[in-house]
Amino acid sequence: MELMNNVKIKSKNLNVYYGEKQALFDVNLDLNEKEVTALIGPSGCGKSTFIRCINRMNDVIDICKVSGNIEIDGVEINDKNLDVVSLRERVGMVFQKPNPFPKSIYDNISYGPKIHGKGETKSELDEIVENSLKKAALWEEVKDRLDEPGTGLSGGQQQRLCIARAISVNPEVILMDEPCSALDPIATAKIEELIDELKKTYTIVIVTHSMAQAVRVSQKTGFFHLGKLIEVGKTEKIFKNPDNKMTQDYITGRFG
Amino acid sequence: MNFVLIFLITIFSLSLFFYGRSKTKSIAIEKNIKLNALPKFYGYYLVLWCSIPSLVFLLIWSLFEPVIIKSIIIETAANQGAIFNDKNEANLIYEKIKAIHLGTYFGDIDSILRESALAYAKFINLFTNSKVVLIFAIVIVSVIYSLKKINKNNKARDDVEIILKGLLFVSSLIAILTTLGIIFSLLFESIKFFSVINIFDYLFGTNWSPQRAFVRDASSITAAEFEELKDAFGFIPLIAGTTFIAFIAMLVAVPIGLFSGIYMAEYASLKIRRISKPIIEILAGIPTVVYGFFAALTVGPFFRQIGENFGLTVSSESALAAGLIMGIMIIPYVSSLSDDVINSVPQSLRDGSYAIGATKSETIKKVVIPAALPGIIGSILLAVSRAIGETMIVVMAAGLAANLTINPLESTTTITTQIVMILVGDQEFDSPKTQSAFALGLTLFIATLILNYIAQRAVKKYREKYD
Amino acid sequence: MTKEQRLKKRHNAEKRFRFYGLASIFFALLFVLILVHNIFSKGSSAFMKTAINVEVFYDKDLLELEPGVSEEEILEADFFDITIESLLKVYPAKNMDEEDALIELFTTDAEIEIKKAFLKNKNLIGKKINLEITASDDIDQLHKGNYPRDLPEDRRRISNFQLEIYDALVENKTINKNFNNYFFKNGDSRDPEIAGIGGALVGSFYSILICLLLAFPVAVLASIYLEEFAPKNKITDFIEININNLAAVPSIVYGLLALQILLATIQLPRSTPLVAGITLALMTLPRIIIPCRASLKAVPPSIREGALAVGASKFQSVFHHVVPLALPGTLSGTIIGLAQALGETAPLILIGMVAFVVDIPSTPIDPSSSLPVQVYLWSESAERGFVEKTSATIMMLLSFLIVMNFLAVYLRQKFEKRWN
Repeated sequence: MELMNNVKIKSKNLNVYYGEKQALFDVNLDLNEKEVTALIGPSGCGKSTFIRCINRMNDVIDICKVSGNIEIDGVEINDKNLDVVSLRERVGMVFQKPNPFPKSIYDNISYGPKIHGKGETKSELDEIVENSLKKAALWEEVKDRLDEPGTGLSGGQQQRLCIARAISVNPEVILMDEPCSALDPIATAKIEELIDELKKTYTIVIVTHSMAQAVRVSQKTGFFHLGKLIEVGKTEKIFKNPDNKMTQDYITGRFG
Repeated sequence: MNFVLIFLITIFSLSLFFYGRSKTKSIAIEKNIKLNALPKFYGYYLVLWCSIPSLVFLLIWSLFEPVIIKSIIIETAANQGAIFNDKNEANLIYEKIKAIHLGTYFGDIDSILRESALAYAKFINLFTNSKVVLIFAIVIVSVIYSLKKINKNNKARDDVEIILKGLLFVSSLIAILTTLGIIFSLLFESIKFFSVINIFDYLFGTNWSPQRAFVRDASSITAAEFEELKDAFGFIPLIAGTTFIAFIAMLVAVPIGLFSGIYMAEYASLKIRRISKPIIEILAGIPTVVYGFFAALTVGPFFRQIGENFGLTVSSESALAAGLIMGIMIIPYVSSLSDDVINSVPQSLRDGSYAIGATKSETIKKVVIPAALPGIIGSILLAVSRAIGETMIVVMAAGLAANLTINPLESTTTITTQIVMILVGDQEFDSPKTQSAFALGLTLFIATLILNYIAQRAVKKYREKYD
Repeated sequence: MTKEQRLKKRHNAEKRFRFYGLASIFFALLFVLILVHNIFSKGSSAFMKTAINVEVFYDKDLLELEPGVSEEEILEADFFDITIESLLKVYPAKNMDEEDALIELFTTDAEIEIKKAFLKNKNLIGKKINLEITASDDIDQLHKGNYPRDLPEDRRRISNFQLEIYDALVENKTINKNFNNYFFKNGDSRDPEIAGIGGALVGSFYSILICLLLAFPVAVLASIYLEEFAPKNKITDFIEININNLAAVPSIVYGLLALQILLATIQLPRSTPLVAGITLALMTLPRIIIPCRASLKAVPPSIREGALAVGASKFQSVFHHVVPLALPGTLSGTIIGLAQALGETAPLILIGMVAFVVDIPSTPIDPSSSLPVQVYLWSESAERGFVEKTSATIMMLLSFLIVMNFLAVYLRQKFEKRWN
């Protein structure tokens, strides 16, 4: 075995249902600390459903039922008594379409720390905002207009603002649900650069449609098909020499 | 007479329909040509030409006939030597003449009245005869014209559609005519009112007691009477009372309406929503006179009783009772609209907030409501405009005397209450008192118009943002 | 503050917020219950009236009528004396004051009731018959338990002697509660025991009928024009803004409009359902146009295109295909608009429908009242008996509104096609 980082998130026999329809079938997947794991697969294969289990975002959808286990640092999170609010503080998320709040850039970032009681004073908050924006590589572009609405930024900037917003509460894990699908290639390149930088501090799970992106940013890749995890392994291996015929067909573009 | 005419026109139109249809059919067969439209459209074409011009004429005639006859008769009566000092007396004489003509007048008939009644009979006859003749002329001309047209095998369907489209357009114009009617009827009397009462005395006066304005004829006012009038029409106590009661109503309606709207949009399960939403909307469907009855007979005395227990004097017609009940009536206006508005905030914003670990209420308070704010403010403004225009609750439960107070336990009055009080029962036209009701109506109309306009713009802008 | 404390505080705030929402809904529902309960508990007794069993002797000499008398003669005959004679037999009265007190227990219409019984059966001359004569308002309220009898005598409208008679009547079981047909049949009256909503019902019916006949066609035609034919230009925008504003203009302003234009200028007759109907139609028009347009808008463009593609004209595509599909929504919007018009009071007060009208109107140009105006009029009256009459009128009004609203919901759910 090659040296691998510690396992951060562990899913065991995870099943998800939307009403009558089953969306995930017995998913067993380990995600390593301070590493980027990419989840690939055709649309509707369940990769987004899977990452939404990690921060329990599926709770928002009434008809969604989850069974099985997900552990973070060995603690079960699919527990009814678990506080989703503190879970989500530890597991941040970036969405497919940038969704900044219709507030100023400053308020977008300071919102998380404020509700979690992380910045008591104005100067503490200022510092958090500055650091988060710097980490999201947005500081230089917006430092003079923190009072302007976040919705006024370009698409790529908005997505980096959302990343900064996720970072602001100092999470351990960041989930990214196709973060570049709404962006142009230049903005995409910037986000990818940023992900590479962020993996030093955070465990990152990224769902992507683009296999090239998975190759560029991830260390580990999982391939989903029709709600099942078909194959998982080191990114290099998955793309060069997959074990499974279906994975082979998918990465060579024979279906999808 | 009018009914007979309408009946005749209808019968004639219907027979023309069958005539037109068979005529064009036979022409088509005889001359072996292809018609430009189905035969029935030629029938419709004749019907429209026969009925619309004559009916429109009849309507206009009927609207103006009584007015014209009245002014002619009053003039003839004056020429005969009848004496009347103002419009009211003139009206009285006119009514007498009419009653004599109908044989329902049992008072003394002098020569002036008798002559005038004869003149009246003559004019009525003349008008009726000319009406009938003119209508027949119109029908004949338009039927001849349209028959000529269909003989030329015109594109009857297109023509019928153009006429019908005109009819549709005219229907939609009725909305504008109504607005114009409102503006003119309010302005007309208001201008007369402001020619007697200085507009600044009205807008900034602090005393409202129109019962002092017993003056019958505005055109002959003595200086002393004028002084008396000058400070009988001060608007301030009314606007104060109106805003005060509306304010109390909003204190009830905004929190309750907003919280129920939020609960229904964000928390309630589909089942609870399906039951509670229509029940809350019942509140908006109950006639306001029912609320007025409840406020006046149950809530008012109840508050007075409670007040007595605490050693407070509560008027049984208190601003508090009226405002509270009005607030309850308005709850659904706030709740349904804010429910709609909150529902249209995109889910992605909520997801963003949940993903950082915000609770549901934090998300609602800090993300959803700020995003929905323009829409919510719009819905509150609409509710305010409802509150200040509401009549029956305040008429029955708020009191009649203009009373400049901010004590919710005392009685106050409102613009709408005063309009009702002035105009209920017999009114004397051309007295400043009656005219003041129209000035109040104009003020109310302008105020609600502004509120509605701002509110609708706010809601519309907000909708566009998230569409 | 530790992390746990902070979390706990946040979760408590969440619970509180949720509770406020639930409490608000609960309050609104509770109020509906209280209101309905209040009206029903006050009003349900009005459907019964109190009557006293009286033996009436159609004394030939007092009546001065011979057998085989004609209807006109009966109508003109004086039944006053036999009425007094009959009523006085109910209880022994010692002096004139007591006799007056006894007669006060009966409705002022007692003579008419006795005459009516005679009209039904003209062979009663010289005979005795037991009749149920309607009791006065005070006795009616006392018998229904709405009148406090433990007040001191000088503050009571019923004297001790009258109470004595009442108790004796109860003992003999000659006082009964019957179905109150007067309430539905009669017009307004100053005496609560014989006042009814017959006139108001007919007045409301005519007003709403005229409102429907005027507002519905115009609203449908206007909506069709605006939704299907109108070019997108300034005029159309202006009409649209206008309609939205009109829908929010306070109803009392329509009363002023009617007063100035319909009554003062065109000189239509005051206090009549005709004027009420026109006024309500003007007021209801924008409120019908808005849902009409919405249901026209909900018909997908593919329907129009399909019709146009087989060579139908724009008109035919609209009238043959779009309008029938939009009809359920249109009708339900109209019914809701009419329901609002039925409950409208303020503009009707201004056009003089508050006049005291005893006769039941036979045509829309007879002076009349309407249900909500009757509520307003009676609620201003001091007599105790009018409280229950008012509440019962509200019950009638509310049941009409409920039926109309159910009809609207039914139409929409049953016939409206959902487009996905």
